[in-house]
Amino acid sequence: MTEARIHDRGYMAYDGLRHGPGRAMANLSYHTVQRVLGLKRSNWQKVLPAIALLISFIPAIVFIGIAAFLPRGDELGLESSADYYGFITGALFLFAAFVAPEAVCTDRRSGMLGLYLASPLSRDTYLVAKAAAIAAVLGTMTLGPPILMLIAYTLADAGPDGVTGWLTELGRILASGTALAVFWTALSLAVSSLTARRSLASVGIFVGLLASSAVGDGLAEGADIGDSYALFNLIGLPFEAVFRIFGQTNTEGPPIGEVDTWLIFATLIGLIAAFGAFARWRYQRIEITG
Amino acid sequence: MSDIVISARGVQKSYDSNHVLQGLNCEVGKGITGLLGPNGAGKSTFMGLILGLRPRQGGELNVLGVDPDRSGPELRTRLGYAPEHHDLPGDVQAADLVRHIAQLHGLPRRVATERASNALWQVGLGEERFRPIGTMSTGQRQRVKMAQALAHDPDLLLLDEPTDGLDPVQRDDMLTLIRRVGSEFGIDILLSSHLLEEVERVCDSVVILANGIVGHSGTLQDLGSAASGFKVELDSDPEPLAAALVARGAVAAVDGHSLIVSGVDSASDLIRDLVADLGLGLRRLQPSRTTLEDVFIEASQ
Repeated sequence: MTEARIHDRGYMAYDGLRHGPGRAMANLSYHTVQRVLGLKRSNWQKVLPAIALLISFIPAIVFIGIAAFLPRGDELGLESSADYYGFITGALFLFAAFVAPEAVCTDRRSGMLGLYLASPLSRDTYLVAKAAAIAAVLGTMTLGPPILMLIAYTLADAGPDGVTGWLTELGRILASGTALAVFWTALSLAVSSLTARRSLASVGIFVGLLASSAVGDGLAEGADIGDSYALFNLIGLPFEAVFRIFGQTNTEGPPIGEVDTWLIFATLIGLIAAFGAFARWRYQRIEITG
Repeated sequence: MSDIVISARGVQKSYDSNHVLQGLNCEVGKGITGLLGPNGAGKSTFMGLILGLRPRQGGELNVLGVDPDRSGPELRTRLGYAPEHHDLPGDVQAADLVRHIAQLHGLPRRVATERASNALWQVGLGEERFRPIGTMSTGQRQRVKMAQALAHDPDLLLLDEPTDGLDPVQRDDMLTLIRRVGSEFGIDILLSSHLLEEVERVCDSVVILANGIVGHSGTLQDLGSAASGFKVELDSDPEPLAAALVARGAVAAVDGHSLIVSGVDSASDLIRDLVADLGLGLRRLQPSRTTLEDVFIEASQ
């Protein structure tokens, strides 16, 4: 007796469960995280995100290793978790400038944006999903290592004193990591919204950040016309905000250390809002069907 | 359920001072409808309004019973869209792309995976479904676009120039597939094109846009059965016959040795009698049908 198998069942209608736009956003975010990390892509596409993640985690692993032998936080060269972000500035810079633009530029260049906006996603929900994906990876870099270190130090009896101290430290890490991830996400999205070419966006972010650093520090330090001009330094600003969250001042850094804390936070929040609003404005104007 | 899939009343859309749609009125019924028009007629803009990608500035638009401006995301779960461009991410496998788009349209992952595979089989890419799109030909990419538009089982499929860039054989295959989707799969289709023969071959109805308004709309069957007069071919100068016909109230247009006669009842009897009276040699007398090309040219002017 021969076994009969049906290979072509023809086209089948579907009247089952359909999820709403919320699930579509989650799906797009997940897909975007996979893309920016180079998953399901060539090995070459995995190099930059892998380097960024390694740079952000390796110092933490080294510190945790040292803590196992020298269980005294003060002797590790780290006054607080705020110091840690100094080690991963390069990783965040690398990711925001050279990896994150892949999240949106390629969609415009490959025509995927048209397919996305022909789905239940709108321009706003598309942008939020993309921002969430970038922020999720950046958040892994800004939150993961300090939280790992906090846990390891605590286990090595070198963590903060008492439950209150521990929770305060955790809260500061969460606030700092989130602020950094959101800032770099907004900056990257704003610049990437200007072009469909990933390389151009990368150059724009790279040059823009270096220029802002030179201009901000130049005005505040070189021209000596006021410390507040150091707020133009987009590299220094978010890290100074982190120091302020931890109740410190980056005294070794540029003159931004002299600026009032409320002005630091207000500028950071204002810039995040401005970058987000700019990206949204750009995406409202992109033509899809010609 | 209503037989009207898309209903537009006085729809207006402008970009700055450019009035692309200037009070567009039309009804698109079930089946396959061709959206024809010269470049710049507003076809893509109209598709964008149907998808709810842009708000209109005036008029009423109803797609599958809802207003795209108010219920865009809900509406788009029921729409499939295959854009005109050929660019798709080259490093993504066809099956992954189709599944991803199906998931965005609300299908659970397992269902989306099954239906993506099925849709790719239906468009003839079953064996190629795990190939990166960048390695595919233009014809195969067009089929991938069709598969991603079909996988979530839409009620209405919007196809923007689906045969653009295809060679004659691929074009023939694509038109056969479109006809099959519209007839066998039971999915209503709005097909934007500027190629008349394509629309004549696969569509049931047509909407012709010109200068931001609908120049003509109706079924191709009505168009084909609408006799617009008679074509008369003589073996000599047709001017005497034309003059005699005009004298009896007919409209006669001379075209070489031929005449197009309309405007009178029993035109064939009148022509026969006048040809006999004038002693002319009659080579051909046949009903003159209005072609889609005639309507398109008239609407475009």
